[in-house]
Amino acid sequence: MTTTSIDAPVGAQTTSRGNGRRPQPGSGHHILAYLFLGVLVVYFFIPIWWLFVASTKDAAGLFNGSSGALWFDETFALLPNLRDLFTYNEGIYVRWVANSLFYAIAGGAGATVLCVLAGYGFAKFRFRGRRLMLAVLLGSVMVPLTALVIPTFILFSNLHLTDTVWAVILPSLLNPFGVYLMQVYTAEAVPDELLEAARVDGAGEIKTFFRVALPLLRPAVITVLLLSIVGVWNNFFLPLAMLANTKLFPITVGLGLWEGQASGNNSGGANLWGIIIIGALVSVIPLIIAFLALQKYWKGGLSLGALK
Amino acid sequence: MKRRKRFAGVMALATGLLLSACATSANNSGGGASGAPTEEEKTPPKLTNCTNKMKNDAPQVSVWAWYPNMPNVVDNFNENHTDVQICWNNVGEGGDEYTKVQTGISAGKGLADVVMLEADRLSSFSIQNALVDLAPYGADEVKGNFREGAWKDVSQGDKVFAIPVDGGPMGMIYRTDVFKKYEITPPATWDQYAATAQKLKDAGGPHFGDLGSNVPALFMALQQQKGAVPFGYDPAKPQDLTIKLNDQASKDVLNYWADLVKRDLVDTQDHFTTDYISGVVSGKYATYVSAAWTPGYLTGAGVGKGSSKGVWAAAPLPQWDAANPVSVNWGGSAFAVTTQAPNKRLAAIVAKGMYADPASLEEGWKKQIIFPLSKTVQDSPDFVNNKSEFFNGQTANKDVYVPAGNAYKGTVYAPIQVYYYAQLQAQLAKIINGKTTGDQAADDLQAQIVKYAKSQGFNVTA
Amino acid sequence: MSHATAVDTPSPLNQPTAPAVSPRRRSLNERKKSRTGWLFIAPFALVFVAFLILPLVYAFYLSLYSKGLATGVVFAGVKNYATAFTDPSFLRGVWFVLRFAVVLIPVQMLVSLAVALVLDALTTYLARFARLMIFLPYAIPAVIGALMWGFLYSPTFGPMQQLANIFGANAPFLLGPDLVFVGLMNVVTWQWAGYYMIIIYAALQGIDSSIYEAARMDGANAWQIAFRIKVPMVSSALLLILVFALIGTLQFFSEPQILQPLSNGTITPDFTPNIYAFSQAFSYANFNYASAISFALGIVVFIAVYVFLFFTRKRGSVFT
Repeated sequence: MTTTSIDAPVGAQTTSRGNGRRPQPGSGHHILAYLFLGVLVVYFFIPIWWLFVASTKDAAGLFNGSSGALWFDETFALLPNLRDLFTYNEGIYVRWVANSLFYAIAGGAGATVLCVLAGYGFAKFRFRGRRLMLAVLLGSVMVPLTALVIPTFILFSNLHLTDTVWAVILPSLLNPFGVYLMQVYTAEAVPDELLEAARVDGAGEIKTFFRVALPLLRPAVITVLLLSIVGVWNNFFLPLAMLANTKLFPITVGLGLWEGQASGNNSGGANLWGIIIIGALVSVIPLIIAFLALQKYWKGGLSLGALK
Repeated sequence: MKRRKRFAGVMALATGLLLSACATSANNSGGGASGAPTEEEKTPPKLTNCTNKMKNDAPQVSVWAWYPNMPNVVDNFNENHTDVQICWNNVGEGGDEYTKVQTGISAGKGLADVVMLEADRLSSFSIQNALVDLAPYGADEVKGNFREGAWKDVSQGDKVFAIPVDGGPMGMIYRTDVFKKYEITPPATWDQYAATAQKLKDAGGPHFGDLGSNVPALFMALQQQKGAVPFGYDPAKPQDLTIKLNDQASKDVLNYWADLVKRDLVDTQDHFTTDYISGVVSGKYATYVSAAWTPGYLTGAGVGKGSSKGVWAAAPLPQWDAANPVSVNWGGSAFAVTTQAPNKRLAAIVAKGMYADPASLEEGWKKQIIFPLSKTVQDSPDFVNNKSEFFNGQTANKDVYVPAGNAYKGTVYAPIQVYYYAQLQAQLAKIINGKTTGDQAADDLQAQIVKYAKSQGFNVTA
Repeated sequence: MSHATAVDTPSPLNQPTAPAVSPRRRSLNERKKSRTGWLFIAPFALVFVAFLILPLVYAFYLSLYSKGLATGVVFAGVKNYATAFTDPSFLRGVWFVLRFAVVLIPVQMLVSLAVALVLDALTTYLARFARLMIFLPYAIPAVIGALMWGFLYSPTFGPMQQLANIFGANAPFLLGPDLVFVGLMNVVTWQWAGYYMIIIYAALQGIDSSIYEAARMDGANAWQIAFRIKVPMVSSALLLILVFALIGTLQFFSEPQILQPLSNGTITPDFTPNIYAFSQAFSYANFNYASAISFALGIVVFIAVYVFLFFTRKRGSVFT
């Protein structure tokens, strides 16, 4: 089937995909599969259950609770913990959430854009220095980031960007793994023939990219976007090194700050352990929302069958 | 082709910029010299990234500190000063803040003007030329307000690198319920300590105490109590370092605790972990050899409430020789001025005045946040006679901590203190696991530290 | 293009099929394509050079110098590297991460692959719930991991201890010297399985389901479909993950660093090479040596990756 217009592949993709229903395996395998999943879900879920249960305890209950780590204490302190969380230090936690959101969306989306473009370039074009660039890219991640903290700090200092949002966002745009990932996904999902067909029809490279390739890459883009957002959201060491202004901290550094205070000798009687734990629980919620929102894009995936 | 050329050009330019701008920085850590007051005074830039609000338009000095009542401390200062204002941020506690301090030193910029530092860290940073000697900046004005030991901790020879705020005179806190049940009394000497521990064990009681490997500062203090002087360092001769870690006193203390561990008279849990705290709460340890700030810490962890309410008392630290008692100190912090401060005079004013006013200090000790080193506070009847709730109404300050603080003679900390702590910790861990003896640990430690100091270019006197 | 063709040629289509031209004269089309290629990678390349290459170059420059606390800066050339490669702390750390990688990566990959395959085969609500649950650990900030595992591994009141109490036994301490390997493996697998699973899953979702129908008509059962069709078709993604997992594991840092206060002395400041570099830089102010250690680790990683790619070169990959 040849495409007569550059929009056709999208249509073809939908019809060949159908409703994305996968044929179900036989019922025997069904049970086995669910059992396997069940065991794993329990394994992955226990610590999260701990987090939830712990967030309902106060410090005394936490360290000297009556029912152990995985069950509730006599004192159900969820609401007081929540209240303390949002009022401690004049509600700095809210500020931290806003910061994390900002960094994760700006950094995550930005990184995704760069990865998608670069992945496409590497996958679909042969140009001088391609191999070299890929080799340098791989080589550069082999040196641990520990070595780069101070040089990066110096670099940002010279640009007068330390202790600003850019000090967090700009380095977050770098995701070498994402570039490789997009390259692999692009190579698999976007057939050369489709691109050639579009070019033959006179479409420019940019248009070809946006109209032909990108729709096919949607699940891949979503995956990289999700992973980038979570990665930036949970980034701890980079913002710790770059920021000194508490008002610019993301949640991770903020919680780290409180945890340091609580572990040392400086809580001054405040309910720090309680708000640290519930702060962590609350910080996961936006990520769950992001996951649930983005996961529907995995259906209707990359299609090799569009050329039939 | 063109694109690639432009690329290379951009890269070359950027590399040039980066390298030239900082070819000196990471290799010449610190920056400016800690000069005399005749140095040109620059007006510090208006700082915008402050956690607190300014009270007036005076020039600003940036501060990094982690005391939980800093918002009030800063406000108290700012309200009472028209010559300078504080711009404060909490960039982390202890190690986290030190990471940033080290980064700032190595990069040659990015350091706050005044930083809160624990006394045992001062040498590590002063040797990198990162701290300003406050002697020319009026340190003498406040010297009289501090005891000899407290002042010595922040000084090196004639130089004063920080203004003290709080300290950690040591004592022994114990569970009155356990002591009552097993009919034992607080030991006054270490011999009695071991004997009481054995008695408790024989009667089926809990461990008498706990030796944690992760508190090398505590252990060093215990060794000092027997007369050990681990380090000798004089900034007048900054390349000379005296190291004495395997003298008889150091060995004796190591052997003592190794023996207690071997006889299972003390537990071996690291301090400050959740297991440790729950052990403290549930009476797993009859005593806790600790510092004056410990009740505050434990209260924050929920100790002294509920089931463990009112069962604690404080006693003086056991002595090696009852006739010649020695007091020691664990922890404590101070404010230092960094060499990256644009106006050192103003920064010194902040260092001297911050957390030194009655309101801040009172809040500090009443809320169990700090044990203040200020003589004005320590001599006040309010403080001395304070009935501590944690200690069930006992006047712990009068009984234990103030006398201990008074008698403390001060410590010399080495520029390689952190490395030493890490190796001491490793040796303690080995002792706990039965893999080495006290004597061997001391000798190994001495060899390791001497080797390291030499590799760092010091002339070592062992 | 028939289904059969797609099934028979599972090799990844990485190399764009360009017409063969003589090296002397590249056609206008070729040059245009080349320029466009650069255009697409330019934004990333710019950020990459500015924020990775430049600091890396400077870090390397620093690693060539030596600074004692009591002395000034001295050009050391490769002396730092010679010291690093004979430093028992560094070598011990390398040995640990190598062993750890060899055990952890297959375990992690098998779990992630198995889960991804299962999730790909089921579309029920339960499966989607499982998908979220397995991804969730990756979303938990590592900062909280210390507290969490402190409670879960606690010999006093952790769930394992409570279970052991029923039998009157003592649960093993998973961060003690004997079991820290297992203890860490558990933490890392828990934290990262979801991450790899998502990647493999997304790749699997990209396969056209009509291929499965054709295979089923040919008589293939679920296992055969999984292993003969699905796995080969995501092999390039798998290889990619394996390489990056190898790099990441050899650079092991976050989890042991965060769990160090809980380990009662087991996790030392030189436990892994990356932690050792960190201690040197920020605890002992030896930034030059720390830089050398980091690059020395980079060399070890390079060798390991090279060896790995050598053994998997037959499959063809994005790296060759």
